[in-house]
Amino acid sequence: MISKTFVKETKELLREGRVRIAVVIVLLLTGVAVWISARHYQNVNEQYEVAKTTERAVWDNQGEKNPHSAAHYGTYAFKPKYPLSLVDQGVDKFAGTSIFLEAHNRNEAQFSAAADQTALARFGDLTPDFILLFIIPLLIILLGYNSFTKEREMGTLTLLKSQGISNWKWLLGKWMALFLPVLVITTVLFLVAGLLLGNLSDFGVFSWSSLLMMYLVYLGYYIIFINIVLLISSKMKKSGISLVVSLCIWIIACLAAPKAASNIAENKHPYPTRQEFAANVLKDKKQGLDGHNPWSKETKLLEEEVLREYGVDSLHQLPFNFDGYRMQKSEEHEAEVYVKHYNYLKDQYAQQAKVYRGLAAISPYLPTRFLSMAIANTDYATHWDFADAAEEYRVATQKFLNDNFAVNSEYGNWSYQADADFWKGLPVFEYDPPELKTTLESNASNLMVMGGWLLGSFGLLLFTTKNF
Amino acid sequence: MFSYNFKYELKQLLRSRWIQLLSIVLLLLFGFSTFNGIQKVEKRKKDITTAQEEVKENDAMMLKLLDSVERGLEVSASPWTIPTSPMAVGNYHPRVAAMEPQSMAFMATGQADLFTHYVKPTVSGDDFALNFTEMTSPVQLLFGSFDLAFVIVYLLPLLIIAFSYNVLSSEKESGSLRLLAAQPIGIQNWVLQKLGLRFFWLAVLVLIALTVVFLVHGINPFAQAAVYFGLLGIVLTYMLFWFALAFLINLWVGSSAKNAVALLGLWVVFVLLVPSVLNQMGNTLYPMPSRTLMINEMRSLKAEVTARQDEILDNYLRDHPEYALNDTTQTRSFWHRYMASQSLIKKELSPVVDAYEEQLQKQQDWVGRFKWISPAIIAQESLNQMAGTSTQDYESFRKQVIGFAASWREHFMPFLYNNQSFSQQDYPNLPKFVYTNTKTSVQNRVLLILGLSVLVYLIGILMYKRQTKNNLLAT
Repeated sequence: MISKTFVKETKELLREGRVRIAVVIVLLLTGVAVWISARHYQNVNEQYEVAKTTERAVWDNQGEKNPHSAAHYGTYAFKPKYPLSLVDQGVDKFAGTSIFLEAHNRNEAQFSAAADQTALARFGDLTPDFILLFIIPLLIILLGYNSFTKEREMGTLTLLKSQGISNWKWLLGKWMALFLPVLVITTVLFLVAGLLLGNLSDFGVFSWSSLLMMYLVYLGYYIIFINIVLLISSKMKKSGISLVVSLCIWIIACLAAPKAASNIAENKHPYPTRQEFAANVLKDKKQGLDGHNPWSKETKLLEEEVLREYGVDSLHQLPFNFDGYRMQKSEEHEAEVYVKHYNYLKDQYAQQAKVYRGLAAISPYLPTRFLSMAIANTDYATHWDFADAAEEYRVATQKFLNDNFAVNSEYGNWSYQADADFWKGLPVFEYDPPELKTTLESNASNLMVMGGWLLGSFGLLLFTTKNF
Repeated sequence: MFSYNFKYELKQLLRSRWIQLLSIVLLLLFGFSTFNGIQKVEKRKKDITTAQEEVKENDAMMLKLLDSVERGLEVSASPWTIPTSPMAVGNYHPRVAAMEPQSMAFMATGQADLFTHYVKPTVSGDDFALNFTEMTSPVQLLFGSFDLAFVIVYLLPLLIIAFSYNVLSSEKESGSLRLLAAQPIGIQNWVLQKLGLRFFWLAVLVLIALTVVFLVHGINPFAQAAVYFGLLGIVLTYMLFWFALAFLINLWVGSSAKNAVALLGLWVVFVLLVPSVLNQMGNTLYPMPSRTLMINEMRSLKAEVTARQDEILDNYLRDHPEYALNDTTQTRSFWHRYMASQSLIKKELSPVVDAYEEQLQKQQDWVGRFKWISPAIIAQESLNQMAGTSTQDYESFRKQVIGFAASWREHFMPFLYNNQSFSQQDYPNLPKFVYTNTKTSVQNRVLLILGLSVLVYLIGILMYKRQTKNNLLAT
C-alpha cells in the first residue's frame, strides 16, 4: 500500500504543470547563481593572489631600515576564500578581507564588500545558498501543500478509507512521494557542485566529506519542511488555507525569525561602538608600559628590574639594546590589552549566539544557516579564527623585529638599520581554516537543535495523523 | 451592483474573520518593528550623547591645564599632551562629528547598522583612513533588521497575496461564477470592484494600525506631517501595485492554487531577485577598484614623501608666505614637516580616493536607472531616505566629516606655523561640526509606483480582452 500511494502521488506530481515549471525555474536560478558566484570567486581569488604576492614583495624589498620603522611600516594579512564558499557565502560580504599588521595596534579587518556597495546589497544576493535556504523550502510548500487537502476536496477521502489502508502507511507513501523530487534536486545540485569544485585548480583544498556533511544538513532541513507541510496539509480543510498557513511558517522561519533574532540579540548584548572600543583599549594601554615613552613610571620600573637581573648599573652595560627590549615588553603588554578587549567582544557574541539558538525553536532555518556557513568556512567563527591567527602572526612579527633591534645595536642607537636581506627571514603568513571535525564539534548545539527539529516534526506528524 | 458588492464583501470579510485577523497581524507586526526601530535610534542617540559628554569632560580638564600653565604652575601631564601646543589640542581633544538621527529614523534601519554615526577626526592621520563602518557582528548584518520597512516591503505584499489570490477562482471552483455571469456586470469590472474593496479595507486597516502604533510609541505622526504623509503615500501606492498584480493574475491564470503560485513567484521576482540581480550587475559593470592596491599606492607615496620632508616643508612655506612672515622664532619641528607632507599626500591621493566615490555614484545611478523594474526597490529606497539612513545619507555624512576634518586641521595651522601657543581665549573659537540633512521628497517615487500599478492594471484588462468569456467559464 505504501508503494502504491507513492507511485500514484509521484505520477500525479509528474503530470502536473506546476511541478515541471517550478523545478525548471529552480534549476535555472541555480545555474545563474552558480555562474555569478563562480565569476565572483575567480575575481576575488585573483585579487587575493596578486595582493598577497605584492604585499610580500613590498615587505621583502624595503631595504635597509630600522626594525622598528619596519614594524610601523607593517604588512597585511589577506583572508583567503575557500572552495565551499561557492555554495554558501555566509557572512563574507560583511566581514573585512584584509588586516593591517603594525606595531602597537591590533587592527580590525577592513574593507568589507558591503560597505562599498549601494543599499541594494542589503536585499541579499542571488547565490546558491539563497536557493538552498529559501527557494527549495518554497518549492516543497508548492509541491506538498494540498497533499491531503485535495483528497478531502475531491471526495476521495471516503473512498480511501474504505480501502482499509492504515494511516501511517498512507502517510509514508505521501511523504516519500514528496521527498523524492527534493532528494533528486538536492543530490544533483551537490553532485554538480562537487564535480565543479573538484575540477577547479585554484580553489584551494576541497574535501568531499565537507560537501557530504553540508548535503546531509540541507537534506535534514528539507525533511523538516516536508514534515511541517504535510502536517499542515493533513490538519487543514481547504488547499488554499493550507497553502497560506505553510507560507506563514516559511515567512516566520526564513525571514522574520532571523531578523527578529538579530534585533533581540543586539538589544540584549550590544557591541560597543568603534569609538568606544578604541577609547577603552587606549585607557588600558595607558596603564602599562609605552615603548615610545622612556620617561614613564613603568619604564623606570622595567629599567630597575632589568638592571638588577643583569647585575649592572647602567643601561649601556646591558648585552642588548634596552630600547628594543622595552619595545618588545610594551608590545607584550599591548597584546594582552587587545586579548582582553577582544575576549569581551567574543563573549558578547557568544551571548548573541544563545539568542539565535533560542529562536531556533521557531525556525529550523537558523541552525541550518549556521551549520552551512560553518562547514563552508564562511561563518563568523572562521572570521574570528582568521583574525586571531593574524594577531598571533603580528605579535610574532613584532618579536622577530624587536629581537633583531635589541641584539644587533646598542642602547640609544636609533639610527641602527637592519640588512636589506633581513626581512626575507620573516616566515610567510599562512592560515588554515578549522577542520570539519572541529567545526562540527563547536557547532554541536546547532546539530542538536536540528536533530530536535527532525525528531519533533516526525513525531508530531505520526502522532497527529493516527486518527485522521 | 456596487453597493451589493460592498455590503456582501464586508459581511464576508467580517464573517471569515479576515478583517479581525489582519488587524491583529498588522498591529503586531507594526508594533514589534517600530519598537525595534526605536530601540536602535535610542542606542544611537545615547552613544552620541556619551561621546559628547566625554568631550565636555576632557575640555574641562584641558581648560584647567591651560589655566595652570598660563599661571606658571607645574603640571603632571606628559609633555607632548599639554594643550598649549596646538597639535596636542588637535590630536588629543578632537570634537565629535556626529550624525543625529532624523525624526523618523526608526522606520528603516537601512545602512545604519553598517556605518557609524560619529567619528572624531584629529589633525594627524589620513582622512581616507577614517573608518566609517560600525563594529557589528556580521551575522546581524547578514540577517538584517526587523524594521517597519521590512514589514512594508516584504511582508505586506504577502498579506495582500493571501488576501486576494482566489477572488475569482474561488467563485469558479465553488460554481458560483456561472451565476455571476448572469448578472449585469462584466467579469473584469466585478473583479475590479471586489479587489478595490479589499484594497480599501486593507488600506484603512493599515492606516489605523500605523497611526495607533505610532501614538502608542509616543510618536506624534502629525508633528512630521511631510514624512508621515510621504510614508502613507509610499505604503498605499505599493499596496495598490500588489493589488493590481492580483487583478492581473486573477483574470489571467486559472485555479486558486495556480494563482497563488504565480503571485508568489512574482513576489520572489520583485522582492528578492530583481534587487539582487541589479546589485550584482551594477557591481560587475562598475567594479570597485581593489582596496589593497589603493593601500600599496598610498604606502609607496608615503615612503617617498618621508624622504623629501624638508623640501616639501620649504615648498609649503613658499605657498603660504603669511606663516613665514608672522613668526619671529622660525622654529621648525616634527609637526611642521609632518603637516606639510600630509597636505601633499592628501592632494596626490585624492584622485585614487575619488575613484571609489565615482564608482559608487555610478552604481547608484545604475540602480536609479533601473529601479522602476521593482517597486520593492523604490519603496525601500524611499523609506530609507525618509528615515535618513540611505547610502546617500551616509555618503553625505562622510563628505561633511572630511570637510570638517580639513577645517579642524586648517584651524590649527596658523598656530603651528606661527609657533603660537594655544590659550584659553582660543577655546571658544574651535570649529564645531554641524550635520546638515539631505533633503528628500518622495512625490516622484509615489507617482512612479502609481504609474507601474496603472500599467499592470491595463495589462490585466488587455489580457482579459484577448480571452473570451467562454474560455473563462469552460473548465
